[in-house]
Amino acid sequence: MKITAVLKEQGLRVVPLIAVLVIWEVIARYVVKDALLLPRFSAVIFAIFTLRELLIPDIIVSLLHFSLGVASAFLVALPMAIAMGWFESVFKALDPIIEILRPIPPLAWIPLAIVWFHLTHYAAGFIIFIGAFFPILINSYTGFKDVPRVLIETGNVLGCIGHRKVVRHVALPYALPAIATGTRIGMGIGWMCVVAAEMFGVGNSGLGFRLFQKFYFLHQMDYVVAYMLVLGVLALIIDRVFRHFVEDNLLRWKKGIVK
Amino acid sequence: MASFIAVGAIAVAIVMALGCVEPETPAEMTAINIGYQPSTHQLAAMVADEKGWWQEDLREFGVEEIVMKEFPSGPEEMQAMIAGDLDVAYVGTTPPIIVMYEGLDAKIVAGVQTQGSALVVRPELAGEYEGPQSLKGKKIATFPPGSIQYTLLSKWLIDNGMDPDEDVEIVAMSSGNAAFAIGTKTVDAVLLPSPTPTIIEVEGNGVIVEWSGSMWPNHACCCVVATEEMMTDHPELLKQILKTHIRATEYEIANPEEAAEIYAKVQGADVATIKRSINVSDMHWIHDPHTIIASGLEYAQVIYELDSERYENLGIEVLGEEDIFDTSFYDDITG
Repeated sequence: MKITAVLKEQGLRVVPLIAVLVIWEVIARYVVKDALLLPRFSAVIFAIFTLRELLIPDIIVSLLHFSLGVASAFLVALPMAIAMGWFESVFKALDPIIEILRPIPPLAWIPLAIVWFHLTHYAAGFIIFIGAFFPILINSYTGFKDVPRVLIETGNVLGCIGHRKVVRHVALPYALPAIATGTRIGMGIGWMCVVAAEMFGVGNSGLGFRLFQKFYFLHQMDYVVAYMLVLGVLALIIDRVFRHFVEDNLLRWKKGIVK
Repeated sequence: MASFIAVGAIAVAIVMALGCVEPETPAEMTAINIGYQPSTHQLAAMVADEKGWWQEDLREFGVEEIVMKEFPSGPEEMQAMIAGDLDVAYVGTTPPIIVMYEGLDAKIVAGVQTQGSALVVRPELAGEYEGPQSLKGKKIATFPPGSIQYTLLSKWLIDNGMDPDEDVEIVAMSSGNAAFAIGTKTVDAVLLPSPTPTIIEVEGNGVIVEWSGSMWPNHACCCVVATEEMMTDHPELLKQILKTHIRATEYEIANPEEAAEIYAKVQGADVATIKRSINVSDMHWIHDPHTIIASGLEYAQVIYELDSERYENLGIEVLGEEDIFDTSFYDDITG
C-alpha cells in the first residue's frame, strides 16, 4: 500500500516529464524533420555529452557572473530597504528614483556597462545586478514597512529601545520571509540575465557567451538547446539549494504557521 | 498514471499522423523578402531598391511588394532565412556555407563583391603595428563566428603562426557596436567591412593598418543566396532578380559617386565619408558567381577545419562546389 502511494507520487513527477520528452523526440523526428528548426531530444543529450569539456568552465564563469551580480544586489538593496522601510522620509526621497530606474530593462544598461566596466566580468555582473536588485529591494522594504505596530510596542516594553535595537530584534526577523522571497525572485531574474550579460563579449566563456556568441551564430541548434537545458537545470538547482538553506533552516520557525 | 500514459499515447499518435500529411503546393509569390546588411559591400541591393528597379523588374512576375530587411551581420541574416523570413539574401559567403553544413537547403547564385574589409587599430597602437604578431594579447572586435570577417581573421592569424583562441581575444560585435567599442577604448582593434573602417578613421578613433586583400588576396566576400524554394518553384523570378542585381552592380561600378550618395541617404551616413570609403577600399563589386567559387571552396575547408570535431561526429563531409553554388541561373541569363 505504502509502495503504491510512493510510486503514485513519483509517477506524478516523472511521467509528465517523460511524456514531454517523448513527444519532443517524436515531433522533431517525424513532423519537423529539420534539426535547424527543432533538434531531437536524443541529439541534444548527445550534444551535452560532446560538449562536456566546455560545460564545466562555462558553468563556473556564469556562476561567477551570477554571484557577482546577486551578491552586490543583495548588499546594496538590503541597507536601502531597511532605510526605506523604516524611515518614511528616506522612502519619500528614494521612491521616485527607484520607480524611474526599475522599469528600465537590464539589456538597456549594456552600453553603460561596457563604458563603465569595459568588457570584463564586472560588466556582466552589473547587468545581473540590475536584474536582481529591484525585486530584492522592493520585497525587502515592503517587509520592513509592514511590521505591525503592536510588535514594535511589545519590543519596546521588553526593552528594545531605539531604532537600531528594534530593527535588529523585531523588524528584521519579521521582514525575513519578505527578504527571502525578494532574494529568490531576484536570483531568478538575475539568472535570466546571465545570457544577456554574456552576449556582448565580456569574455570567451560562460553559458550565455557560448550559447549566443558561438552556437547560435554557427546555427548549431542542438548545442543551443543543450545549453538552454543546462541553464534551466542549473536554475532549478540554485533555487532548491536556496530554499533548502533559507526556507528550511533560516525560516524554520515559520513552518506550521500555515501548514 | 494510466491516464497520463493514455494522454501521451494519443499525443504521439496525433503527432505521427501530422507527420504523414503532405506539404501544400507553394503559392504564387506576391511579396519577396530580400536580406542585406548596412555595408557598401551590398550597395547593389540598396541601389536597386532606391531606384525602384526591384518593383519595376519583378512586377511582371506578380510580385507586388518588395520587403528589404536589414541585418547587423550575416549569421543573424541566415537565421532569418532558416526561419523562412528571407527568400533571397545579400550576405557574406561564409554564413550560408556554415548553415549549409547544418542542413539548410539554399545555394549561392551570384557574386556581390570581393575583399573590402579592414583591420583598424586604436591610434596610439598604430605606430607599433608591424603585422599580425603585433596583435598578441590584444582584444579585437569583429563580426560573430561564422561571418567572413571572423573566418578571415582566424585564418590569417593561424597562417601567421598564432592561435586565435589563445594569442588574442576576439569579441563578436556588429559594426555599430564595434565602432563604439574602439571609440571608447574598450577594444584595441576591429576588423569590419566598409564603410565602418573609414568612418572610425574619420572620427579619429582608429587607423586602418590592413585591408582584407592583404590578409587573403582576392578573397570572396558577399554573394547572393537563394532558398531551395526560390530555385525550384520560382526559377524565372530568380533569374529576373539576378538580372536586376547585375543592373545595379554595373550602375555602382560606373557611378560610384552616385552609389555613395544612395548609401548615405539610405543609411543616414555622411556622403563625403562614404565616397572616401569607396575610394580607399580594396573592394571590387562583381556579379559573376564563378569569380568566388575557388575562394568559397577554400572557406568551406577552413570552416570545416575550425569545427571538424562536430562535423566528424555528425558524419558531415567537406562541402563541394555542387553543394554550395548553383551558377545555372546566372549562366542562363548571361549566356
